Amino acid sequence: MDVVIISEAGNESLHPVTAQLVGASSSIGGKISVICPGGIGSSEAAMIAGVSKVISVEGDCFASYDCMAWCNAILPFIDGDLVMTSSSAIGREISAAIAAKKDFPVVQDITSLNDGISVSRSIFSGKAIEEVGVSLPCALSVRANTFQPAEGGGNAEITTINVSQEVSVAVKEALAKAGERLDVAEANIVISGGRGMGDPSNFSHLYDVAEEIGAAVGASRAAVDTWEEIPHSMQVGQTGKTVTPSLYIAVGISGAIQHLAGMRSSKYILAINKDPEAPIFGVADYGIVATWEESIPALKEHLSAVMSD
Amino acid sequence: MGVAVLLKQVPDTTAKISVSGSRVDESAITKWSISPYDEYALESAIALKESGADELVAITCGPQRASKCLTEAAAVGADRLIHIVTDADFMDSCTVQSILSSAIERSECDIVLCGKQAADTNSGSTGPGVASLLGYSCVGSVTEVSMDGGKLSATRLGATGLERIEVSGPCLLTFDKGEVELRRPNVRGIMMAKKKPIESIGVEDLGIEIGSPRASLQSHSSPPDKPPGQKFEGAGSIEVVVGKLRDEANVI
Amino acid sequence: MAYEALDFYDIDSLLTDEERMIRDVVRDWVEERILPNIEDACREGVFPDEWRAEIGEMGILGAPLKGYGCPGLSYTAYGLICRELERGDSGVRSFASVQGSLVMYPIWDFGSEEQKEKYLPRMASGELVGCFGLTEPDYGSNPGDMLTKAEDRGDYFLLNGAKMWITNGTIADLAVVWAKLDGVIRGFIVEKEDEGFTAPEMKGKHSLKASITSELVFQDCKIPKDRILPDVRGLRGPFSCLNNARFGISWGAVGAAQSCFNSAKEYALSRIQFGHPIASFQLVQNKLSWMLREITKGQLLAYHLGKKKDDGTWIPEQISLAKMNNVDMALEIARMSRDIHGANGILDEYPVMRHMANLESVKTYEGTHDIHNLILGRHITGIQSFTREP
Repeated sequence: MDVVIISEAGNESLHPVTAQLVGASSSIGGKISVICPGGIGSSEAAMIAGVSKVISVEGDCFASYDCMAWCNAILPFIDGDLVMTSSSAIGREISAAIAAKKDFPVVQDITSLNDGISVSRSIFSGKAIEEVGVSLPCALSVRANTFQPAEGGGNAEITTINVSQEVSVAVKEALAKAGERLDVAEANIVISGGRGMGDPSNFSHLYDVAEEIGAAVGASRAAVDTWEEIPHSMQVGQTGKTVTPSLYIAVGISGAIQHLAGMRSSKYILAINKDPEAPIFGVADYGIVATWEESIPALKEHLSAVMSD
Repeated sequence: MGVAVLLKQVPDTTAKISVSGSRVDESAITKWSISPYDEYALESAIALKESGADELVAITCGPQRASKCLTEAAAVGADRLIHIVTDADFMDSCTVQSILSSAIERSECDIVLCGKQAADTNSGSTGPGVASLLGYSCVGSVTEVSMDGGKLSATRLGATGLERIEVSGPCLLTFDKGEVELRRPNVRGIMMAKKKPIESIGVEDLGIEIGSPRASLQSHSSPPDKPPGQKFEGAGSIEVVVGKLRDEANVI
Repeated sequence: MAYEALDFYDIDSLLTDEERMIRDVVRDWVEERILPNIEDACREGVFPDEWRAEIGEMGILGAPLKGYGCPGLSYTAYGLICRELERGDSGVRSFASVQGSLVMYPIWDFGSEEQKEKYLPRMASGELVGCFGLTEPDYGSNPGDMLTKAEDRGDYFLLNGAKMWITNGTIADLAVVWAKLDGVIRGFIVEKEDEGFTAPEMKGKHSLKASITSELVFQDCKIPKDRILPDVRGLRGPFSCLNNARFGISWGAVGAAQSCFNSAKEYALSRIQFGHPIASFQLVQNKLSWMLREITKGQLLAYHLGKKKDDGTWIPEQISLAKMNNVDMALEIARMSRDIHGANGILDEYPVMRHMANLESVKTYEGTHDIHNLILGRHITGIQSFTREP
């Protein structure tokens, strides 16, 4: 049984998830080849232990992303019965399109892989886990950071192939990122400040962190009521917005019952407060007893280190 | 030129999900809705119709209850409603995609819109898979689309940020949440929708061969209980906590 | 958290798909537009104009009326609309009740063809707002003795008098006003530009703060002859309007009660005292179970009355009972819910004190609680007890 991994590019080089894909598939056995669309990261891919072959597929069609053009370009080189991608937006599209073209079933965003092949994945936004049995051949996309990456030290042969493929999606312009701030009710990560921030101008530190991780900035009612600079639209809680992000970071918020009503359904809660008795720690998955002045710079530093991994 | 929109009925994103006997208990789900990203596709499909597309065809595949999302689509402007009725509790991607693509062929639409993923499975396979089967172009994570002569001009969320793209010929667009405001149906729309017939067809009527399933649902289970909260002293612990956010909680 | 409406007896399963869809449209609108903004509106004492426009766009005004641009829905659908609106705020439901049941309805039932064509489509769309002038400063429960009078001056009618406690008055484009013409109560349509007509707002309410309440003052107010409602004479006119509005209130009160129940339940589950959620204490459970019981009874009452309205087998006394019972139970639930919330219950963080204050008005308007008791008393005994005279 042969595995074909379609590599993921990030910042003009190989994305670390590619090594995780190799790690995930190594338990299955069989030859592992890696296809690098547009040739990005092919030399790095060749150094992943366990990879037997790297095919660097290059051509004008890879200048910008056109799902069908990319798939058609790499399709002839997919020779295996398990196709794997990362579960990024592009990874999912590629695995689904390739699977359909090859008449394979596809299962997306898997978090574990057992013999057989059975895979498990989270459904209903994490409210249940689904175990699916798939027969080979098939395509799978894999959630980043759930499998151990394969180690380095490999030395696979790189075959470079130039293809010419018609594109039908033309990128006309890059649009400036909307300067608008994310809404707390929509964001996947929310960082909120309370009256413990001391002064409304200190919310700028929360914005710094938010920018780093694509979070929205929220506030407790105490902060909104105390400071005019903090608008009601930022308020999380009983009379503010009810939020259910994957991660809610509460900074200098004691955790009045009205605030908890608006955020306690968040998937994970990180609370930073200097008062070890603050009720917010009662609902927090991770609590840090510290002042915001000490914590925020460290939080920003470590988050940015993790994000750039 | 017709526009088809693919709608999936899912438990409302706020509904409680409970597992009993290794299956999600559907009878305990109190509210079913059109999957949220599909609603953005529907909104854009209505906008395309308003700017000159001939016909707006809403298509769904699922059990009897799923017809409600077609009526909802009709209430905001869908012209034709196709429901492929199936009671299967799990269908592999090959089956779903071949059903939907043959329904699209039947509708004769060469622009197809759907959500970038459904809110229940969060897979995102259907759009690109259906586009592959139909031989259409595929543009993912679109937030806005407009008709520009014979071409479609769309804004999509690319790897490096928002970009405006053009696509010509038959194509399938998958939608992300954008700035577009969804219209709400009004009573008049609901009363008209009630009168609109739903073409309710079985898989066998599509004239396609469904092979034996190649992926099957083995079980559903509840997510493991979260461990009790962990408390750390001092800002020095932040590095450890950030590591846990990534590796334990998997949220960054 | 999604709103899970209390429906212990699964009355939902008795609704048609269309009724459910209409309910969801209104529910979603309330969730998106009313709940986040209601406290501001109350604080400022305004009924935001965009609410009027959006209620109009939803197409729910004059719900059970047919033709002339009106929706033509079942009474059950009308009830559901009232329930969902009042789950947001009684003031919002009042706006729709007055517009639909008290102004559109009499024009639809007693108006001339020209009057219907002229007003109903623009009222159904929310473009025109109406108000209803029956109550006077000195005549509330006893409207028959009203002082407002109309005189026939040949080319026009001359109106003199004053009305009080008039919902929508100041923002209204037209008023259906009841006045005595030669000693007989008749309905007149007064437009806001009519000479001699003013509608000053009544300020300082502790209840229905997001609803506009006004006086209507007629000082030698001249109105054209074609503005009299031709087809009704006597108290039957205003009373038939009130029957429809009271029906809507019987549903609306359930919405306010559901809101208070949900808030109490959530609060009781998350409020920890003596080391346990207060929901685990028997006295609190007793209150919650009483609320569930009373709401369920109120729902069944309202639902069945809707069916009787639809098939025309109702009598006004049944509406009196439903209005009286459901508002009374909603008010009691609001008070009990406030109690469960402890001190937090007085804050605008929670809807309960607002509902409680609103329901004090609702208990009094559209026939006071006691008057409805007297209506039932007369029905049971055959003896009227409104007045001392035989």
